Amino acid sequence: MIDVRGLAHVYADGTRAIDDVSLAIGAGESIAIIGQNGSGKSTLVRHFNGLLHATEGEVFVDGANVRGRRVAHLAATVGLLFQDPDRQIFAGRVRAEVEFGPRNLGVPAAKLSATVAAALEATGLAGDANANPYDLGYSRRKLLALASVLAMQTPVVVLDEPTTGQDARGLARVQRIVTDLTAAGRTVIGISHDMRFVAETFHRVVVMRAGRIVLDGSPQTVFAEESWPTLASTYLEPPLPARVGARLGLGLATPTEAALVTALAAATASGT
Amino acid sequence: MLELRDASYRYPGYAKEVLVGVDLVVGDGEIVGLVGPNEAGKSTLCLVASGLAPASIGGKLTGTLTIDGEAMTDRKTHELAERVVICFQNPNTQRSGIAATVFEEIALGPMNLGLPVPEVIVRTREAIALLRLEPIMERHPTRLSGGQAQLVAIASLLAMRPGHVILDEPTAQLDPAGTRMVGEALRQMAERGTSLLLAEHKTDLLDGLCGRIVVIDEGAIVRDGPADEILADPMLAELGVEPPSRVRLSRAVEAAGGDARLVVSGAAAAAAT
Amino acid sequence: MLGGYLGPLAIIGLTILPAAVVAGVAGRLVRISFLLTLPIAISVVLVSVFTRAGETVLFTIGPFDATAEGVDFAGQTLVRLFAISTAIGLFGLTTDPRAFVFDLERRRLSPRFAFVALATLEAVPAMVERAAVIQAAQRARGLDTEGSVRARLRGVMPLVGPVILSSLTEVEERSLALEVRAFGRPGRRHLLWWIPDSGAQLTVRILAIGALVVATVLRVTGNLDGLP
Repeated sequence: MIDVRGLAHVYADGTRAIDDVSLAIGAGESIAIIGQNGSGKSTLVRHFNGLLHATEGEVFVDGANVRGRRVAHLAATVGLLFQDPDRQIFAGRVRAEVEFGPRNLGVPAAKLSATVAAALEATGLAGDANANPYDLGYSRRKLLALASVLAMQTPVVVLDEPTTGQDARGLARVQRIVTDLTAAGRTVIGISHDMRFVAETFHRVVVMRAGRIVLDGSPQTVFAEESWPTLASTYLEPPLPARVGARLGLGLATPTEAALVTALAAATASGT
Repeated sequence: MLELRDASYRYPGYAKEVLVGVDLVVGDGEIVGLVGPNEAGKSTLCLVASGLAPASIGGKLTGTLTIDGEAMTDRKTHELAERVVICFQNPNTQRSGIAATVFEEIALGPMNLGLPVPEVIVRTREAIALLRLEPIMERHPTRLSGGQAQLVAIASLLAMRPGHVILDEPTAQLDPAGTRMVGEALRQMAERGTSLLLAEHKTDLLDGLCGRIVVIDEGAIVRDGPADEILADPMLAELGVEPPSRVRLSRAVEAAGGDARLVVSGAAAAAAT
Repeated sequence: MLGGYLGPLAIIGLTILPAAVVAGVAGRLVRISFLLTLPIAISVVLVSVFTRAGETVLFTIGPFDATAEGVDFAGQTLVRLFAISTAIGLFGLTTDPRAFVFDLERRRLSPRFAFVALATLEAVPAMVERAAVIQAAQRARGLDTEGSVRARLRGVMPLVGPVILSSLTEVEERSLALEVRAFGRPGRRHLLWWIPDSGAQLTVRILAIGALVVATVLRVTGNLDGLP
């Protein structure tokens, strides 16, 4: 679905934010990109919808090269959710805000209200359709921004830090939405600092450092003990279940609570 | 000692009270954690405890804020500065914009207090030493990572030698490295005996750092007790607060019929590395 | 005469824009000034065009007549608005806050006033960056900014709200942070830095103040045209 070949991106001030990245993302994949600020995560995903142009290398979305294509055009294929909802929300009513995206994409009026209703339902904002976005708190505004992108019904959904600043309820809802999107066959790419969220929600994890990919695999692989030195080099820590599992010498990687529970049960059953 | 008694607060122009009858005490040298879902009133409580609400932002406060026995009603904001300071979550908007180096940035607080230059330098050096900022002392304040900038913001407040420090989600906008940096700084401050009120979503950060945790929901305090007790409270998730990883993990293991003590020892071993 | 359109346009074209070009901030200045004055400009235009007393009616919408005099008034007000906003914007984009604070302190004026202005000054350059982010977010939702002129113009609306709102929020955050560090405290400070002055700068200051005095006197004595 998304094919990145030898990508490099140099900003106007000379910063080489992406340095030789190649990545293939299949349709329907659920993939998390993690790394410190400045590792190139946000820069990378902004090539998928044409906001940034490659300095070197090529990017293909759904088989076609993105070079020369307009952002507004690519937005029909790749929906990108920005981290700060207040850098986006402009409408006086929640419903109008959610309608903006699909309207721009030319969704016919008949289909529009159904699409918007579904997005509001998924984000728990159905009851606030007529509210002013700024009467919702920060968490709900983040969900509103998410609803605005969901309503565009793009095959690829990119979420840039959907969990930052969210409280427990908001986090649970975002997790559910990502899982539902994957179940529906959409390609989901998530950037997050929350290792537990990443390990529990995504099937594939890509670790970036200084503009390069240093690890790429399932949560089991990326958070396994063998990968810890690489993770440490980028100042990331594996989630607690992985660390506890390793300390208890369970033999296999346990990136999630569920995995640890299973491994412990297996170890107890076999009498270790 | 910082004490809020029966504090209710509403923002200027709003009818609804965001804080309702809040009683809160932060003793000298205490580290108190403040948790609750978004819009529960954590930030408002921080603003009221720091005196900025209503002294700077207006609004109506009923009840009292007392610091070291003195009532803070009708005090000007600069009078509050030497008693209580507050650190916000955005490292960029806390930068003054007039300092050429990190050293100058940290020195601005004591400078504003009208202190003579030698005293300003002593206090600045003190704050830098506590948070181990010597390596970046000469750097331009805009050439810092998010975590470093937040540490400089905290040091700038510490240089004023406040009795109480309030932090409103200081790691919210930071990456994992930055969060770790601030966590370290908080531990250093705690060791020094600084009194802290720390509002956070990341209960992992509060775990092991705070002696006491206060839970706020819909403007009212719903729990106030020893940290270990509150963080292990089964009702915490229901109150909209994510328990710390170690509590979640122990619970998951127990629920599956396993031995949680294994988890505890494993977690302790993992934390020791 | 120097009133009407000529005065403000001369000020912008002969002093503000050249200074901005020399300082390397011309592009940012124009963008910021445009974004800042747009909301006011819209209401000024609407009110002036339809409610100024005038005889030459251009067209009518409902009970309102759009007059040529109204359009003229709106035009002259707009260039004045633009002159003011570019002047303030230029100050914000080129003034070193350290120098400003130092100068106030050495003139024995409380730096308190500078620190209050600081919050706004600091927010001006940040507005440029913020506008770019907001535009990117709206483009990612299908807002077409690369198409026809009409599309570009329509594209400005979803930008103005978030830019201004988030700028106001930023100013509020900055002022609170400054308050916490006693920037608002009255009284002398002993600053740690020194900013040298130069003869050239002193000359420019004297000339600028002189021009202000002369212009004010001319205006007050009726020798300078103001708005019609």
